[in-house]
Amino acid sequence: MKSLASLALVLFLAGCEGRHNWLAGAGEEARSVETLFWVLLAGAAVIWTLVIGAATYAHRAEAKPEREQEARRFIIWGGVALPVLVVGGLLIWGLLILRDITADDGALTVRVDGERWWWRVIYDTPEGPVTTANEIRLPLGERALFRLTADDVIHSFWVPALGGKMDMIPGRETTLALTPRELGNWGGLCAEFCGGAHALMRFDAIVMEPEAFDAWLAHEAQPAQVAEGDAGFAVFDEEGCGACHTIRGTEAQGPVGPDLTHLASRDKLGAGIYDMTADNMARWITDTHEMKPDIDMPAYPGLQGERLDALVTFLMSLE
Amino acid sequence: MTEEIDLSKLPPAEPYDKARDEAQRARLMKVWETPTGWRRISAVNNSSVGKWYLLTSFAFFTFAGFLALLIRAQLAVPNNDLLSQSLYNQLFTLHGTAMMFLFAVPIFEAVAILILPEILGARDLPFPRLSAFGYWCFLIGGIFVCGSVFFGVAPDGGWFMYAPLSSNPDYSGLGADIWLLGLSFIEVSSIAAAVELIVGVLKSRPPGMRLNLIPLYCWYVLVVAGMILFAFPPLIAGDLLLEMERAFDWAFFDPDRGGDPLLWQHLFWIFGHPEVYIIFLPSIALIATILPTFAGRPMVGHSWIVLSAVGVAFLSFGLWVHHMFTTGLPEISLSFFSAASEAVAVPTGIQIFCFIATMLVSKVRRSVPMLFAGGALAIFVFGGLTGVMVALVPFDWQAHDSYFVVAHLHYTLIGGMLFPLFAGVHYWYPFVTQKRMSDRLGRWSFWLMFGGFNLAFLPMHWTGVMGMPRRVWTYDVTDGWAVLNMVSTIGAFIFAAGFVVLAVNVLWPRGKAPLVERNLWNAGTMEWSAEVPDKPWGVRSIPYIHTRYPLWEQKELLGEMDRGEWFLPDAEEGKRELIITDILDARPLYVQRVGGPSYLTIGAAFCLGAVFILATFHLWTLTLLFGAGFVGFTLWWLWTGTSEIPEKPEKPAGRGLVLPTYAQGNSSPGWWAVFITMTGDMTAFMGLVFSYFFYWTALPDFLPGAAKLPGFGWLLLGLALLLAGWVTALAARERLAGGSTGQAMGLLVGGVPLAALGIGAWCWAAWSAGLDPTETSFDATVWVLILWLGLHLLLDAVMRLYVAARIWRGRCTPRYRADCVNLTLFTHFLALTAVVTFALLALFPMLMGGM
Amino acid sequence: MAGRKKIVPPGEAPRVIDQGSVWILVAAPSIWAAHFLLSYWVAAIWCAKLGRGTPLAEPRWIIAGLGVLCIAAIVGLAALAIRRYGGVFVIFEEITESSERARDRFVGHVALLLCVLSAAAIVFTVIPGMVLGQC
Repeated sequence: MKSLASLALVLFLAGCEGRHNWLAGAGEEARSVETLFWVLLAGAAVIWTLVIGAATYAHRAEAKPEREQEARRFIIWGGVALPVLVVGGLLIWGLLILRDITADDGALTVRVDGERWWWRVIYDTPEGPVTTANEIRLPLGERALFRLTADDVIHSFWVPALGGKMDMIPGRETTLALTPRELGNWGGLCAEFCGGAHALMRFDAIVMEPEAFDAWLAHEAQPAQVAEGDAGFAVFDEEGCGACHTIRGTEAQGPVGPDLTHLASRDKLGAGIYDMTADNMARWITDTHEMKPDIDMPAYPGLQGERLDALVTFLMSLE
Repeated sequence: MTEEIDLSKLPPAEPYDKARDEAQRARLMKVWETPTGWRRISAVNNSSVGKWYLLTSFAFFTFAGFLALLIRAQLAVPNNDLLSQSLYNQLFTLHGTAMMFLFAVPIFEAVAILILPEILGARDLPFPRLSAFGYWCFLIGGIFVCGSVFFGVAPDGGWFMYAPLSSNPDYSGLGADIWLLGLSFIEVSSIAAAVELIVGVLKSRPPGMRLNLIPLYCWYVLVVAGMILFAFPPLIAGDLLLEMERAFDWAFFDPDRGGDPLLWQHLFWIFGHPEVYIIFLPSIALIATILPTFAGRPMVGHSWIVLSAVGVAFLSFGLWVHHMFTTGLPEISLSFFSAASEAVAVPTGIQIFCFIATMLVSKVRRSVPMLFAGGALAIFVFGGLTGVMVALVPFDWQAHDSYFVVAHLHYTLIGGMLFPLFAGVHYWYPFVTQKRMSDRLGRWSFWLMFGGFNLAFLPMHWTGVMGMPRRVWTYDVTDGWAVLNMVSTIGAFIFAAGFVVLAVNVLWPRGKAPLVERNLWNAGTMEWSAEVPDKPWGVRSIPYIHTRYPLWEQKELLGEMDRGEWFLPDAEEGKRELIITDILDARPLYVQRVGGPSYLTIGAAFCLGAVFILATFHLWTLTLLFGAGFVGFTLWWLWTGTSEIPEKPEKPAGRGLVLPTYAQGNSSPGWWAVFITMTGDMTAFMGLVFSYFFYWTALPDFLPGAAKLPGFGWLLLGLALLLAGWVTALAARERLAGGSTGQAMGLLVGGVPLAALGIGAWCWAAWSAGLDPTETSFDATVWVLILWLGLHLLLDAVMRLYVAARIWRGRCTPRYRADCVNLTLFTHFLALTAVVTFALLALFPMLMGGM
Repeated sequence: MAGRKKIVPPGEAPRVIDQGSVWILVAAPSIWAAHFLLSYWVAAIWCAKLGRGTPLAEPRWIIAGLGVLCIAAIVGLAALAIRRYGGVFVIFEEITESSERARDRFVGHVALLLCVLSAAAIVFTVIPGMVLGQC
């Protein structure tokens, strides 16, 4: 048992790292749960020790038939009174936290739509909606309200470091409020099994200073800068990529796949799973289903050499 | 007024006569003998069926455990490519599905079938052929579902099968159909077992075992079987809706057509949460039986344990939404379920404190079963405490669908179910095999499993805290989950090694080892009264019980039973006989004759299995053919050996007791079986009613305008015809009792066209209003309600013709008319279904339209 | 007689409804279940039909009021249970005697305990309505 306990300690310390950690304290909502977590953990440790201690003592002790009434009183205190008080108190505390961390509005509204297996992200701004994908940037200290939907199957939107998760259900809109308290690049995940590449449905949640965020959003709202007669765009066009993908400012207006207008400004490729490098981009186009099995995008193994280079260069220029 | 039977004042037994004893034993042996060789598969006795059930469940456990090891191997290192994405999704789905449906629930039934009759001092359960039928269904369905993985078409939508992933054929293939139909088939066998066990505890107790004397194990079995009866049917209703959407494109879960994916989640978890307690309580029951033996004294707080079993059973039906905390339901709705989830900790705690109190006042003998029980306690309490955590909504928003929950659920299920079960294996092994297991290996397997388990699952809480979601087939090294996962994998393999040691210990051939002494643990419950070597008849004579722990408190009992001094010590008529007693005080009511070895049950199970399997592949003609085969086998089975007219109206049952040999109405187990089955059936129907109101609540325009509603006149006419059909059944029962067999037959058969016309009128009402089940959820709901009733009316027609034929052939007579009485009971439920359906189709829309 | 006293079994109806009823065992938890479902339905329909953020004023009072009614009903059941149990609130007794009276006392005892549990569970159900003020 001792070795188990020390192992648990080591693992626990290891658990304080990580960009998906609930206990990272990066968000207001996560911090509320963090407090709850520590209290519950300490309480559980005490109760477990008491119960198992009592059982071990009872198992080893000599028979004490004369103490039967005492044992019965033990059932009432330990089995009834204690649990009623403990869980009753916890219920009320949990409800109070629930009341505090739910909200119907925010300084910022972000619509996120779960797709198989990526995220369509739409910022509602006074100037109109700004569409991006697979990366969510948030201003520090401002409550963001996420309005969550799904097109195909159920997904679940979760940035553990910032707060709890919320399902995205076809035919419904759910909401989740998150208030970032720490700058950083936090991990986001799909938490509800959505078939196929569920494991590879990630996103980055990047918390920025509010001014930087405003600048980013303003840039994001701009159309792409595509030079007239760009060789890469020509390949993009010939291969029919525009049937699925949108690049604002060009005739590529496909609504099916992720918006690519500022693709290269994102940290990650393929819904939060690969670094945004030219090599990965080339492989993504030719060996799509090795990179991410089952996805709807067709692979273009025939696209090689110069044409591929041109396409990759073009895509990597979409900043 | 009836004369009170005072079992304590029966005349003394006749003096012992060796020749008589031997003759009686020979006759009993002949009647209860288990067929040998390949004929053994026709056996229906609980000891044979129970053993098969147990071994088959453990085989599926081993299979599902092997899948778990593959899963752990895949997750051992980041970016692993041992398993493909598609295969991983199949494996984790099958792991959960097989553990839940092919191990956890069946093992409860297996253990109960094996030991319940013996604890009750009975020779068998009241419907042995039903147990056998259930077993064969389980075997066929289980192989079908598990086998699919070898063809790469195993279900891959998760064991919870959420729509639309599972309902839309674009997102899920054959695997989803295999899951739905294969498991519906197995659910049928679970419900069959539940009916059997409820009737067993209520009606097959030994004379004198009043309610306050029932062993704790039997209370748990009663409670759990009751829970199955209310928990499984909603899932069957859900399966029906989901399969109708998959196969025929009916609009139940598609939001574009007024469906709602959340409906599936409700129906699934109304089943799924009680399911957890259906798994947990029977194992706690094993501890509640083992503990007093090693403490050498009765359980402290017997009534408290009964209280907590009943309390948990009820509360467990108020927890289902805690699996749906993140679905965006209003916080107030979530909170009710949070409250109930916290409240259920109270009765659960009481059970544990009763165990501790019992140990406190006694000197506990050390033994391998107690070692496992102790390990179970340590693990389960921890799982319970994390359960209290995840029952809080804000906490669950973080923990839900993360590895924290994986850890939590394995702590509750392995601590609450598996370890107690292994305690039971070590405890009852000598009861089944008459040999002893090795204690040394037992301790080895315990420590390997206990250590391996904690090594595997304790770190998983932290994996969850670090944000690892469930059901992912791979992760990246930068996620920081690699070390934790590697530790878990090592733990899982150590755990598996422990199980291998246990399996070796169980399966080790012990042909030459000496037999154990009788009642080797010095237990107080009746199953240890079995003679060594054991006899197929169970008990030599069925004793009179007037204590909670008869082997401790009725010192002379064993000798009296062995000498045949108690009830039914003989089998003069060459029939398998049981004593049926009353619910409250277990006064003997009558002698029930049950069927012996039979292939009919296998034929029926095979045909029913074929129906479900062929339907998966949409081979409708063959499906219908085998459906007819199933009906044929079942009728043949019922025709021979149920409600048989006895050769004499009553017989001496020993000690001066004379008991009838036939019963009808609510003193017969058959009546109770129909009543209980139909209660389950009504629960499934309530699942459909729930769906109707769920849509109405969730969708503002669920009810269409008046033009699209089924015609009121036709609906009313249909109801009138259906109720007239019901009246014919009542009249037939009365006429039969009055001696007019001809009129009774006429009324029974005459009811068939009435019902056909009635349901026809309803179909016309829906059809003429233009209701198309593929259009909207309202249309689909109306049609599924009509379909539900229609299928029941079909069954009703078959049963009416069957009973009419029984009357015609003189197998159901004015005096012996149980068949007809049971049919009437069935039609009561049918009439109720018709009235409720009418209210939903005609009255409710009218009421809402008027508002 | 020759040891062959004919003993007639009791009437066909097992006594589940009359004074020896066991239904009292499920009565109290059923009242909890009814209160639970009604509370859930009232809140669900209220919130579904009126939308998020709607104050819960009426449903709160309905839930609390129903709770009081249900607990009153359970108190009535408990009185019945105590009478069957024997009128003394001694909860530390094992009722192991083999007699109809003992069986009835046992049922009363378990029913009494279930009344306590069910009442506590109803209080738990009412708590959310008191803490949360809106949908």
